[in-house]
Amino acid sequence: MAASVDPLVVGRVIGDVLDMYIPTANMSVYFGPKHITNGCEIKPSAAVNPPKVNISGNSDELYTLVMTDPDAPSPSEPNMREWVHWIVVDIPGGTNPSKGKEILPYMEPRPPVGIHRYIFVLFRQNSPMGPMVQLPPSRANFSTRMFAGHLDLGLPVATVYFNAQKEPASRRR
Amino acid sequence: MAIPMAMATPTDSLSRVWNMSSLKSSLPSSAVTCRLPSPSSRRPVLVSSPSPRLPSFSGLSPVNPLISTGLPGWQSFEDGFKIIDGGGRVYAMRHGRRVPKLNRPPDQRKALLRGLTTQLLKHGRIKTTRARASAMRKFVDKMITLAKDGSLHKRRQALGFIYEKQIVHALFAEVPDRYGERNGGYTRIIRTLPRRGDNAPMAYIELV
Repeated sequence: MAASVDPLVVGRVIGDVLDMYIPTANMSVYFGPKHITNGCEIKPSAAVNPPKVNISGNSDELYTLVMTDPDAPSPSEPNMREWVHWIVVDIPGGTNPSKGKEILPYMEPRPPVGIHRYIFVLFRQNSPMGPMVQLPPSRANFSTRMFAGHLDLGLPVATVYFNAQKEPASRRR
Repeated sequence: MAIPMAMATPTDSLSRVWNMSSLKSSLPSSAVTCRLPSPSSRRPVLVSSPSPRLPSFSGLSPVNPLISTGLPGWQSFEDGFKIIDGGGRVYAMRHGRRVPKLNRPPDQRKALLRGLTTQLLKHGRIKTTRARASAMRKFVDKMITLAKDGSLHKRRQALGFIYEKQIVHALFAEVPDRYGERNGGYTRIIRTLPRRGDNAPMAYIELV
């Protein structure tokens, strides 16, 4: 019996990665023809290329998109929480991340053990980032909260997450 | 009730408009015929008699002893509820049933639950049917409670339940840090979309 029906709370995205926030923007993420809803199952082979992300908002606002995996390397032992897959800053509102600056290139989901959650977090920027953002030293042990704190991004404006697990290596006959 | 399809084909090969009269004649005679309300009048529309009623489904209601014709053995009210006649009493409610049977004999049920808890402790999050997920909770919590105690006897009890011994040793090593303050409720179940093959309701079960 979940105390809240919000899928982000039920899936513990709010709690493990984010704090409670009020969604103020819309973001729709597409891996090929498949639209991402909270908690849907995506095969890693379908997520090899970066997704198409449509962000609502005015073109004079700038947004930052972060994609992380809080269950690295395994959901029962998340030693490397979180593993960051993609960081794009300075995305003008109403467009997609190809118009922004890609700080960290996209890495496809490769869950070794268990079912991992992959979270897209969208922040609204107060000012253009430009050269201020430095690359994180490694993809492991990333903290979205601290990243937002460093760059003064505040609370997120939109979030969506999906699940992925390792596909069986050989095709079943 | 075969509808003569030949009559409903368009009479004119060139025109694509169906002939209304031929369609009406090919439909069963007891179909609903509505008169459209004329724009000027506002009187309610009279609808002619609807299609013949389906026989009402009475499979789950007790057979009325007053109506039944010559059914033997009417000792008491409960006899009317005997849907499955195997000697056991079958009620419509779940009063007092504490063990989920999972449609399996007891040895297979125990093996299924042992396998599921082993996999959950190994992977951290698994996707299975809702009935299995809610049946598993008790055993996962039991294993974590054994690990919290940490003595040799408890370790051997856990080794007798979980199929892989590395998992038991890893569990006993990390549970005191991870679940030291938490009292019970070490799992979380998130319901998800049904399975495509048989529409079984699925759920993710994960260690909190």
